[in-house]
Amino acid sequence: MLEARGLVKSYRAPDGGPIRVLDGVDVAVGAGRLAVVVGASGSGKSTLLNVLGLLEDADAGEVRLGGERVSALGRSAKGRARGRFIGFVFQTFLLLPSLTALDNVLLAARYAGRPAADARRRARELLAEFGVVERQAHYPPQLSGGEQQRVAFCRAVLNDPPVLLADEPTGNLDDANGRVILAALRARATAGAAVVVVTHRADAAAGADAVYRMRAGRLQAAPPQGGAP
Amino acid sequence: MTKVLREYGFTIAGIAIGVAGIVALGAMGERIVRFIEGGDRFVLGQISVAGSGMGMGTGFTAGGLLPVSAIRAIAEVPGVAGVQAQVMLPLNPSTSQFMTLTQELILGVDLSVPTPNRQFPRLPVRAGRDLGAGDHGVAVVGASFAASHGLRVGDRLPLEGEPFEIVGILERTLTAPDRFVMMSIEDARRQWVAKDRLLRTVIASGAAAVNAADLNTGTAVGWRDGEDPDAVAHRIAERVKGVNVQIPSELSGLLRSSTAFFSALLVGLGVLAFVIGGLSLANTIAAAVFERIRDFGVKRALGATDWQLGREVLAEALAVTLSGGIAGVGIALLLGAGVDRWAARTGQQLFLFSGRLLGGALVFSVLLGAAAAAYATLRIVRLSPAEAIRRGA
Repeated sequence: MLEARGLVKSYRAPDGGPIRVLDGVDVAVGAGRLAVVVGASGSGKSTLLNVLGLLEDADAGEVRLGGERVSALGRSAKGRARGRFIGFVFQTFLLLPSLTALDNVLLAARYAGRPAADARRRARELLAEFGVVERQAHYPPQLSGGEQQRVAFCRAVLNDPPVLLADEPTGNLDDANGRVILAALRARATAGAAVVVVTHRADAAAGADAVYRMRAGRLQAAPPQGGAP
Repeated sequence: MTKVLREYGFTIAGIAIGVAGIVALGAMGERIVRFIEGGDRFVLGQISVAGSGMGMGTGFTAGGLLPVSAIRAIAEVPGVAGVQAQVMLPLNPSTSQFMTLTQELILGVDLSVPTPNRQFPRLPVRAGRDLGAGDHGVAVVGASFAASHGLRVGDRLPLEGEPFEIVGILERTLTAPDRFVMMSIEDARRQWVAKDRLLRTVIASGAAAVNAADLNTGTAVGWRDGEDPDAVAHRIAERVKGVNVQIPSELSGLLRSSTAFFSALLVGLGVLAFVIGGLSLANTIAAAVFERIRDFGVKRALGATDWQLGREVLAEALAVTLSGGIAGVGIALLLGAGVDRWAARTGQQLFLFSGRLLGGALVFSVLLGAAAAAYATLRIVRLSPAEAIRRGA
C-alpha cells in the first residue's frame, strides 16, 4: 500500500552546510500492517513521516501509494491525495483553536468532498466511540490533552484513509490516554489500514508487524516485539 | 459572521480605525469641495456687475456704487434677460471683506424681479417661507447663521437697531448662503447707510446726487437662452460705462485659482489618508493571515488544495474587511456627528459624508483587504504543509 524508495532529504544548517536527515531510506508497509519507527530525537523519524505523508518533498527518491507514484504529483494533486488516502495524528494534536471538537473532526471531510450529513453522522459516532461526544461543542483549549488527541484521532480516521501516519501520538499524553491511542492505531491496522507510527515509547512497538530503527538518516529493521500493551 | 467577529475581533478593530481615518479625512475634504463647487456654480449662473471703484460691497459684488441708471442701461444690452439690483455687505464691517468660509453677509435683493441666476433661481427653504415682493422688516437666514445665532422662524434679529423678523431659514447648502441674512434691497440699503459713516456723511452733505435707488453694490444679470454668457458680459462692459463686469468663466477661473491651495491640500489629505489607512489595512489583513499559518498548514495536511485554501482565506478576508469597513464608517459617522454637533454652536459643519465617499471607502477597503489576503495566501501555499506547521508552532 505505502512504499518509499531511496528517500534522501537534507536541511540547511545555521552555518549553511547541509544536514542529511534521510539518507537513502526504503520502506514498505502493506494494508493491514502496523509499522513502528523508533529512534533518538533528531534521527529523522518525523521527517520520514512528513515525506511519506506528502507533507514535504524529499530531495530524491519516491513515494508510492497503492502503486501510484504520488511524490511526483503537483501541489494540489498531493493535497487531494492527502485528503483521500492519508490520515495524520500529530504529537501536538494540531486542532484548530477556533473550531469546536466536532468541527475539527469535520475538517477532514470538507477537503475530501464528503457529503456533510454523512460526515457529521460518522464524526459523532467516532467521538462517541472515543468517549468525547459530550465534548463535541467544546473548543480545544477547553479539552484535556487526552481528549484533544482523541478528537485529533477521530479527525484522522473520519474518511477511513487506507494510510494512517502517527508522529509521536502519545508524546503529550499520560499512560492511560497513550494506551487508548495505541490500541486505536492497532485497531485501524486490523481493519485494513497501513499504519506507520513514529515514537520513542518502547511499548508502542509491542504488537507491531514491523519495527524499524532510525539512525543517522537510515532505517534499519529491528525484530518485532510480541504481545499487546 | 459571529465566527468572523470572534476570531478576528482585533483585526476588525484595526481595520475599522484605518477606514475611519480615511472616511473622516475624506469627509472634511468633501465639505471643502462642496463649498468650492457651490461658489463655482453660483458665479457661472449669472453675470455679476458692480460699480467701478471701491465701496462697501463684498465678494463678487465688490466695487463702487452701481447707480440705477447703469442698471437700466445694462437691461438694454442685447442678450440680457434679467437684471436684479443687489446690496451685499459684511454683517460685521470690521471683519475682512474677503469672502471667507465664515463670513456673515447681508444680501439685499430687488424682490420685484425674479433672481436671474440660472443655477440658483431660488434657494431652498428649510423652515418658514422665502422672501416675496413687498416684504420689509423681515429676513430669511442661512442654516449656519440660524444655528450660530440660535434663530428660529418668528424670532427677531436686531440689526443696526432695526428688528428683523425671521420668516424663513434656508436648507444647509454647505456654501456661502449658509451664512447669509437675506432681506429686501430697501432694508439692505438702510443697513448699508447705517454701517457706512462715509456714505452717511456724503449723503448728508448733499455733495453728491445720490438717490436711495442708486445704493446698489452690484447686480445679478441673466442672459437669454442660446446666448454665450461671456459674450453678453463683454457686451455689457463695452456698452455701459462705469461698471466692473465679472466675466463668468473668468470669475470661475479666479475662484478656482484662489482655492487652488485648498484643492492641493485636499489632494494631499486624500493621498495621505489612503496611503496610511491603506497600508494599515493591508498590513493588518496580511498579519492576520500570517498569524494563522499553522492552521493553514494543518488544513493542507488534511487535504486542502491551494484553490480551497485561497477561497477560504479570501472569503474570510472579505468578511473581515467588510466588517471593519462598516465599523470604520460607523466610527467616522459618529465622530463626525459629535464634532459637528460641537461645531454647530458656531454655525460650522466640518464633515460631509457623501454617498460616493462612504461607498468608495468600503470598496477600497474590501479590494485592498482581498489583495493583501491573496498576497499572504500565495506566500503561505508556497510552503510545504510541514514547513507551515513548523513556522506556526
